[in-house]
Amino acid sequence: MGFLHRHRWLTPYGLLAAGLGWLAVFFVVPMYYLAATSLKSGDIDFGYAFTWAWGNYAHALGRYQEQLLRSLEYAGIATLAAFLISYPLAYWIAFRGGRWKNVLLLLVIAPFFVTYLIRTLAWQTILADDGPVAGFLRTIGVLGADGRLLATSFAVVAGITYNFLPFMALPLYASLEQVDKRLVEAAEDLYASRPVAFFKVTFPLSLPGVFAGTMLTFIPAAGDFINAQLLGTPQQAMIGNVIQSRFLVLNDYPEASALSLVLMLAIVGIVVVYARALGTERLGT
Amino acid sequence: MTAVVRFARHHLLTAYALLALAYLLLPIAVVVLFSFNNPNGRFNYTWQGFTLKNWGDPFGVPGLWPALQTSLEIAALVALGATALGTLIALALVRYGFRGRGAANIFIFLPMATPEIVMGASLLSLFLAINFQTGFWTIVIAHITFDISYVVTTVRARLVGFDRHLEEAAMDLYANSWTTFWRVTLPLIAPGVLSALLLSFALSIDDFVITNFNSGTEVTFPLFVWGAARVGVPPQVNVVGSIIFFAAIGLMLLNVVRQRRPQRAAAPATATATVS
Amino acid sequence: MSTRRQFVQRTALGGAAALALPSLAQAATRADSKSITISNWPLYIDIDEKTKKYPTLDAFTRKTGIKIKYLEDVNDNNSFYGKVAPLLRRGQSIDRDIMVLTDWMAARMVRAGWVEKLDKSKLPNSKNLQPSLQHPTWDKNREYSLPWMTFMAGIGYDPKKVGYEITSVDQLLTDRKLRGKVTLLSEMPETTGLVMLSNGDDPTRVTDASFGRAIKKIQKALDAGQIRQFTGNDYGPLLAKGDVLAAFAWSGDVVQLQIDNPSLKFAVPQAGAIMLSDNMLIPKKGNIELASTFMNYVYDPAVFANIDAYVAYPSPVAGVEKFLAKTDPKILKNQLVFPDARTRARLHSYDPIGADNRDYKELFQALVGA
Repeated sequence: MGFLHRHRWLTPYGLLAAGLGWLAVFFVVPMYYLAATSLKSGDIDFGYAFTWAWGNYAHALGRYQEQLLRSLEYAGIATLAAFLISYPLAYWIAFRGGRWKNVLLLLVIAPFFVTYLIRTLAWQTILADDGPVAGFLRTIGVLGADGRLLATSFAVVAGITYNFLPFMALPLYASLEQVDKRLVEAAEDLYASRPVAFFKVTFPLSLPGVFAGTMLTFIPAAGDFINAQLLGTPQQAMIGNVIQSRFLVLNDYPEASALSLVLMLAIVGIVVVYARALGTERLGT
Repeated sequence: MTAVVRFARHHLLTAYALLALAYLLLPIAVVVLFSFNNPNGRFNYTWQGFTLKNWGDPFGVPGLWPALQTSLEIAALVALGATALGTLIALALVRYGFRGRGAANIFIFLPMATPEIVMGASLLSLFLAINFQTGFWTIVIAHITFDISYVVTTVRARLVGFDRHLEEAAMDLYANSWTTFWRVTLPLIAPGVLSALLLSFALSIDDFVITNFNSGTEVTFPLFVWGAARVGVPPQVNVVGSIIFFAAIGLMLLNVVRQRRPQRAAAPATATATVS
Repeated sequence: MSTRRQFVQRTALGGAAALALPSLAQAATRADSKSITISNWPLYIDIDEKTKKYPTLDAFTRKTGIKIKYLEDVNDNNSFYGKVAPLLRRGQSIDRDIMVLTDWMAARMVRAGWVEKLDKSKLPNSKNLQPSLQHPTWDKNREYSLPWMTFMAGIGYDPKKVGYEITSVDQLLTDRKLRGKVTLLSEMPETTGLVMLSNGDDPTRVTDASFGRAIKKIQKALDAGQIRQFTGNDYGPLLAKGDVLAAFAWSGDVVQLQIDNPSLKFAVPQAGAIMLSDNMLIPKKGNIELASTFMNYVYDPAVFANIDAYVAYPSPVAGVEKFLAKTDPKILKNQLVFPDARTRARLHSYDPIGADNRDYKELFQALVGA
C-alpha cells in the first residue's frame, strides 16, 4: 500500500487491470476472430479461409438494410416506452419506497427469474386473439373486429419493452436514490411548484441514470431476436433474426460476422451521438 | 386547492407506479398460475384444472434439478466475479482522472453493444483456437464477460455525485486505502454493488444464447427449458420459476423484518470489531 | 456488518464447493471406462412417472454394466452442428458416443466423414429396422446410422373451429376464412416438402424448378396475409388457444395436444405428408463397441415398445405392437403412432441433399424474414 500511496497516479490502473485484462482476453481476442471471420470465404463443411472478402459487407448491407433499420426503430420505441414506464416507478421506489425499497427492486428484476422463453410465452397467453386484452380493446373499438395483437409490430415492441424494462429501471433507481432529498425540498420552496422543482433539480440530477438506463435498454433491444420470432411475423423480422439465422441455420459465419460488426458500429454511432446530445460532462463519465 | 392537488398528485404517482409493477408482474402471475395447472398431456398451454401435484414434486422431471443446480452454481460464481471486476473498473473510471480514461469508457461499453449471439460465437471460436474444453467453466467465463459492463454501468450510476470528501477524510483517519475502501467506500456504494450482484446473477441465470454456444455437454436451466419446449414445457418448469421468484422475495422480506429490530444502533461497533 | 462478513465467508465456501463439484463429477465419469455419453432431444425417451428415472437406460446399465450419461442437449440440428462441427473438423472428440440428428443433418455428417461405422457384429437387432427405412439415399445400407424415431409433418387443426375437414395444403394457403390464422413450420424440409406435394412435385428429389414453385406459392400466401408466422414448436400454444386455426404441425405434438383438446386433428393431406427420422450416429472418437451395444439394446422391440409408448411417434423398430398390445393397447389404434397402410403410402421423405442445399436454404430464410 505504501507504494500505491506514493504513486497515486497508478491507483486507477491498478483498479482497472483485472477487469480490463479479463475483457482483453475474453472480449477483444474473440472480436479479433470475429473481424477476421467477416473477411473470410468458403463454406462450413470444408471450413472458411481468409481472403479479404469485403464483399460480405456489401452483400450484408445491401440485403438486410430493412431489418437493420427496423431493429433500430423498434429498439428506439421500446426504449422510450420503457423510460416512460420506469421513470415514475423508479422515482416512486426511491422517494416513497422506505424500507420496502429492496423488495420493490427485486420485483423489478423478477422477470429475469422466469426464463425468457417462458415469460415471452406468457405474453402470448395475455395477448391472445381471444384473450382479455384483445377482447377489451375490441369492445372499446380500438381494435377492429378481426384485429389482433399477437403477430403484429405492437406485440414485438411490447415484448421488447417488457423484457428489457429492468435494465432501464435499475440504473434510474440507482441515480434517483442518491438525489439529496433536502435539495429537492429546498428547490420546492424556491420554485414553489413541484413540477418546476422536479425539472430544475431532480431530473438533471438523475441524468446519469437516464443515460445508463437508455443504453442498457436500447442495445440489447436492437440485437434481440426472440420477441420478433415469437410475437411477430416475417414482416417484423429484426437484424438479430438475420444474424441468428446466418450463424445457426445457414452456418454462414463470414456474413453473420460482417452483419454483427455492422450492427455494433451502428449502435456505437448512435450512442456517441446520443451521449453528445445529453452532454457527457454533466454525466461525469 | 394546493392540498387537493398535492394529494391527487401523490396518489397519482403511486397509482402509476403500481400499474407499472403490475405490468412487470403480469406474465409472472401467468407463470405462477400455470404452475397449478393440471394438463393431461405434455403441453401446459390451456387451463385444465387446479392441482398441487406439480408443487408436491417440483423436480419430477428428469434433468430439471441438475440443470437448475448447474445454473445456480454458475450464477453465483458469475455474480461474484463480475461484480468484483466491474466495481473496481467503475471506481477507477469515476473517481480518477487518468490518461486513457475516455478510451477505457468506450471499451467498457463495447461488450454491451455486442449482440449476444455474436459474443457467444466469437467466444466459442477463441476456446476452440486455444483447445479449451467447453463446459462449466467456459459458461462462467462467458457470463462474466458479458456481465462486467452491466456491473460497471450500474455501479457507476451510483458513484457519480458521490462525495469524495468522505473518503479523503477517511484516508487521513486510517491512512490506509484498503481500510478506507472497506469502511467508507464500500458501504457508500453498497446499494449499487448489491444491484450489480443481483443483476449479474439474474442475467446469468437467464442467459440462453451465449450459453448455448459455450456449454459443451453442460445443460443449464434455460437450455433445459428451450429444449423441453420442443416437446412441451412441463408445469414443473413454472413451479421452479415460481420458487426462485418467491424465494428471492422471501429473503428480501426477511431482511426488511430484521432491519426493523432495534440493535441496528450497535451495528457499527460490531463492524469495527469484525473488520479489524 | 458482522452478518455481512459471515455472508462473505459463507459465499466463499459455497463458491469453493461449487468450484470443486463439477470437476469431481467429471473426474468420476472419466475414470469409469465402461460408460457412454448420449446426446438426444429432450423428452425423447420414456420416464418413470414415479421414480422420475429413465427405466430403459437403468435396465441397460443393469444388464450390461455400461453406465450412461444421457444429455438432452440437442435443441436444433443446425445449432448442434454449429457447436460440434469445429471440433469434428479438427479431428477432436466431442465427448459423446451417440448423437441423434435428423436425416439431412445425419447425411451431412456422413458426407463429411465425421461419424464412425457401426459395429454390426454387436448389432444383431438391427434386423428389426422397418423395411421402409433400411436404405436411405445417404446411408444406403445403414452402415453409419440407425433411426431413433420417425416423425410426420402434416396439418394440425380444429375441425370445429375451421368448420370443415382439411384435406389439402391449398386450403391453408388460400381459404380467406383462415387468413392470418395459419402458421407454417420454420423447418425448411417440412414446410417446402408439404407444399411441393401439394404442387404434385416429388420432395424426395428436389429440383430448382420444384423448389422454386414451392417458394413462389408460399410467398403468395404470405403477401396475401394468409400466413401468420413460421414457427418451431411454438405453434402448440397458439393452436391450443385458437389464435391459430390450422398449422403445419408434427404428429407427436398433436397427439399431446389432443389429450387436453380431443377435437384437434392431424391431417395427412390427400397429396401426401412428410416423414423424416432422427438418427443415432457415433461421432468420430466415440466408443463404437459400447455405442453399438446400446443401439442393439434399444432395437429389441420389447425395449423400444416402452420408448415408443412414451414418445408417441411412429416406431422405426418393427414388432413393438406385440408388446404394446399388453401394456398400452389404446396406442395401437392411434393413427398418428401406427398409421395404416393407406396413410403410410402417402408419407414421403425429403431429399437430404436438397434439404442441405445452400441456395434453397437462403431462399427459404428470406421467406421467413431473416
